[in-house]
Parts: sequence; C-alpha cells; structure tokens
Amino acid sequence: MPERVVEVVPEDGLHARPASKFVETANEYDSEVKVGPEDGDLVNAASMLAVTGLGVSGGEKVRISAEGDDAEAALDALEEVLSTPEDEL
Amino acid sequence: MLEDEIDRLMPTAHISLDEPPAEKQLAIEFLLDLVVENGRVTERETALADLKEREKEATTGVGMGIGIPHAKTTAVEAPSVAFARSSEGIDFDAMDDEPAKLLFMILVPEEGGEEHLQILSSLSRALMHEDVREKLLNAEDEETVQNTVREAVN
Repeated sequence: MPERVVEVVPEDGLHARPASKFVETANEYDSEVKVGPEDGDLVNAASMLAVTGLGVSGGEKVRISAEGDDAEAALDALEEVLSTPEDEL
Repeated sequence: MLEDEIDRLMPTAHISLDEPPAEKQLAIEFLLDLVVENGRVTERETALADLKEREKEATTGVGMGIGIPHAKTTAVEAPSVAFARSSEGIDFDAMDDEPAKLLFMILVPEEGGEEHLQILSSLSRALMHEDVREKLLNAEDEETVQNTVREAVN
C-alpha cells in the first residue's frame, strides 16, 4: 500500500484550517486514506474527529497511506496540504 | 493526566442538560455563559470574539454529531471546558452534514501554549467511541456527564 512520511508545516499543526483542508482533500478521493504518527496507529483521514484526535503539532512528522486506484494522487494532494504554511492555504 | 483534571476543567457548573438554542452562534453563547456564570470569564465579549474568530477560520463541527467550539483567549485565567447537548441537533457546518448533538466548549488562557490542543485531541479521541457518545446523550444528570468524560479521556 502506498504510504509516505511527511512533515506538518503549518505552525499550529494539523488543526483548524489546515486540518479542515486536509480532511476535505481526503474526501475528494476514492482511495481509503489514513493518517497517524510516524510510528503509531493510523486513523481515517477523511474524518475530522479522528484527525483532531491525533493532536499533531507543527513540525511533527505524520505517516499517510492510501489504498485504491487513485492512491498516489491522493497522497500527492495530502502531502501538498501538509507542506503548505497556514497563511498560504 | 487529563482525567485527574476534569473536576478543575469541567466542574458540574459547566455542564448543562437544558436544551440550548438551535442555532450555532447562540448555542456557542449558551456554552460560554455556563463558564461566565461560574465566574471564570473576565470579559465575555472578548471570549466570544475569540471563539467567533476561530469558527471563521474553520468550523469546529467535527462530524459524528459533535461540535467542539474552542479558543485561546485573554478572557480566562484557567482552562475551562463546558458541555451541553441538543436533542434535535444543531447545524454546525460539519463536513458530514450531521447535526451536532454533543457540544463541548474549550477555553484556555492565551499563554496556555499547546494545552488547548491536548484537551481538544483527548476529547476527540474519547468521542470516537460510540458507547461514550451514547452515554453522554443519555446521561440524566451532570455528574454522569462529568464521570463519563473522566473515564473516557483515560
């Protein structure tokens, strides 16, 4: 299953607008997308409650994985959200 | 860690089983007033403005019938959590379009660092469990709500 480790650039972490953008993006793809700590359990990236529950801070790394026909495209799009400073989102 | 702090964060005075207004902004004010009435908010208008500002950035309707409005604000000196629930559910602009029935408000002091994110993520993880949501929806008194949260954030 395609996966990658990405640093969370927005200063406030995966929270507020970046989190909302992240979950919205995850919902745009058919693949089943997950996110979590680099070495921990992954949760449903398409659920705002699940993503909020991770409590990821800015500068931390997360693992994202995707399973499905558009998995690579989904990971590209999610990586872009995570790599974009909050004021540019 | 958090479970030992529930009495301080969310005293029963911050828990209401009365029906809140059915509109999002008014429901947020209803939650805020629980904390105001408990004497923990120095400036109601400042706290409300900070909550609205956060809401404008992205909704705190996190789906699964839950809304968690929150803000860092100079208007509180101690981190505070309030709870209310709506029998019909409130349109909280959640991505899954589910009306919010369980409402938590988190207010932390401006200099609180990442504390509000820790409270937010602990609460969110607890609320992922259906049995926790059910208990909160069916609780018949404030103590049951408080104890459910205490056990769930373990």
